[in-house]
Amino acid sequence: MTALTLTLRSPPPRSVDMSALTPQRLAGLNAAQIGALQLRRGLCVAQVFDIAAGDVQHVVIRNSCDRLTHIGAAMRCGAITVEGDCGAYAGLGLNGADLIVTGNAGSFAGSGMKAGSIRIHGNAGDFAGGALEGDRQGMRGGTLAIHGDAGDRAGERMRRGLLLIGGNAGAYCGANMLAGTIFVAGKAGPMPGFSLKRGTLLLARMPDNLPVTFQDSGEHSLLFLTLLEKQLQRDRRSFARFLPISQTVRRYCGDLACGGTGEILVLVRGSIA
Amino acid sequence: MMLNGVAIDDTFAEAFGMRATRILVTALNLKWAYHAARAVTGFATSVIGCGCEAGIERELSTEETPDGRPGLSLLLFAVSGRELARQVERRVGQCVLTAPTTAVFAGLDGEAVNLGRNLRFFGDGWQMSKVIGGKRYWRIPVMDGEFLCEDTTGMIKAVGGGNFLVLARGQAEALAACEAAIEAMSRLRGVIMPFPGGVVRSGSKVGSKYKALPASTNDAFCPTLRGAVSSELSPEIGAVLEIVIDGLTQTDVRNAMRAGIDAVCTLGAAGGVLRVSAGNYGGKLGQFHFKLHEIMR
Repeated sequence: MTALTLTLRSPPPRSVDMSALTPQRLAGLNAAQIGALQLRRGLCVAQVFDIAAGDVQHVVIRNSCDRLTHIGAAMRCGAITVEGDCGAYAGLGLNGADLIVTGNAGSFAGSGMKAGSIRIHGNAGDFAGGALEGDRQGMRGGTLAIHGDAGDRAGERMRRGLLLIGGNAGAYCGANMLAGTIFVAGKAGPMPGFSLKRGTLLLARMPDNLPVTFQDSGEHSLLFLTLLEKQLQRDRRSFARFLPISQTVRRYCGDLACGGTGEILVLVRGSIA
Repeated sequence: MMLNGVAIDDTFAEAFGMRATRILVTALNLKWAYHAARAVTGFATSVIGCGCEAGIERELSTEETPDGRPGLSLLLFAVSGRELARQVERRVGQCVLTAPTTAVFAGLDGEAVNLGRNLRFFGDGWQMSKVIGGKRYWRIPVMDGEFLCEDTTGMIKAVGGGNFLVLARGQAEALAACEAAIEAMSRLRGVIMPFPGGVVRSGSKVGSKYKALPASTNDAFCPTLRGAVSSELSPEIGAVLEIVIDGLTQTDVRNAMRAGIDAVCTLGAAGGVLRVSAGNYGGKLGQFHFKLHEIMR
């Protein structure tokens, strides 16, 4: 069965909250009922999108732009494919579903996600996988893969899960991280891992400088990196940018100002280009 | 039933419901995987005195192990889930965590049994959790780097105590037949033969003249007691050896018994093997009955 397709007629003048259009909220609705759903006061789906009926477990949003926010927010099942860019809060609190964005995503992509996967083929804004203002934790599980660059504070206060950044990461990547794994295949910006409590910040290249509160533990061969590599190899086409992963890394333990039980690992050899 | 001059008794092996798990031990090379595996499965011949029955199921190629290193698959059986959990934790903690370069992973899906969940505290706060592919692993810092272990392994209902007896002219003939059987059975998956070399000479019966003992020597099969007790042995039988089999399923046990008895019968009467029988308790204790004639039909 073909997917339910929503084609954006033209970029809306103001942002549109798309959190009503998730597979679990569309279940059991026909095209007319979907068209009548309110996106915000006085604005229904049919006024913004051309609707082609299909399986609501797979929603395709065509001609998407950065005015469409909260796409896939709190999504618990099914899949959403965004053809084009999307706005802030994509996959906010996503829990066990798949979200694919073929273009760029705005800020707070994957913030608070608990399970499932988000793949952003372009770049992501600030706070990807990070915490919302006032939230104690960012990403809490699942996989957030950004094939391009990530903005500042990616994975801030991340609690669990895997954040993959294929390009460069902005400043303060993994700041205040509580646990989980962030892999930056490009270059990390200033102050990576600042105030990191636990968790792993895996960097393909040595950043220009590390916070002084990280201490060199030397070169080590870590077995868990083999498991991580094997996991990514299972979906080699999607994660080719992140492969192969060298098992030998230089380990910097820190942030010593926060207990020092976390780490920054920098790939030593056989690392990705 | 006669097979190559060997009489197959019209009897059955009586086996019991047990709980089992499989764990995968890997190391830098197979030598060190064996060091750890032999320690884990050492002193695990019988639940009566060891707490569990355990053995090496097979070698694993680098393609089969989670970390791409050489490894071994181990099976552990116990009479209850609680005892199995206790044995797994104790044995992995003392025998795998301690062995250089090793790592340990779950080898079964099922009810969760702690593998590294409590061992992690050996890390004294420096242990790190990694969830990869939906499974939790623990990285515990040790003096040769890190000990990597999966959080839990799976436990399933299984079968313990499948068996058959090889009755031969003498010790040498009985042992040669059992060695041939073990070689054939070792190629099968899902089973272990937990006794030393897979063979046991001290078959037991339930009870004893001594009140403190729950089991004692199987006098009906002891050749030196022929004439003193109600013996099962004809005059030409000089030695009896037993092979005990624990398997993940009834089918696994049945296939192993067939493979073993086939190997014994291939040596045949010319090899000094005279009879094949099986141990049971009248059928009242164990929930699984493996009838020799049905298995060999």
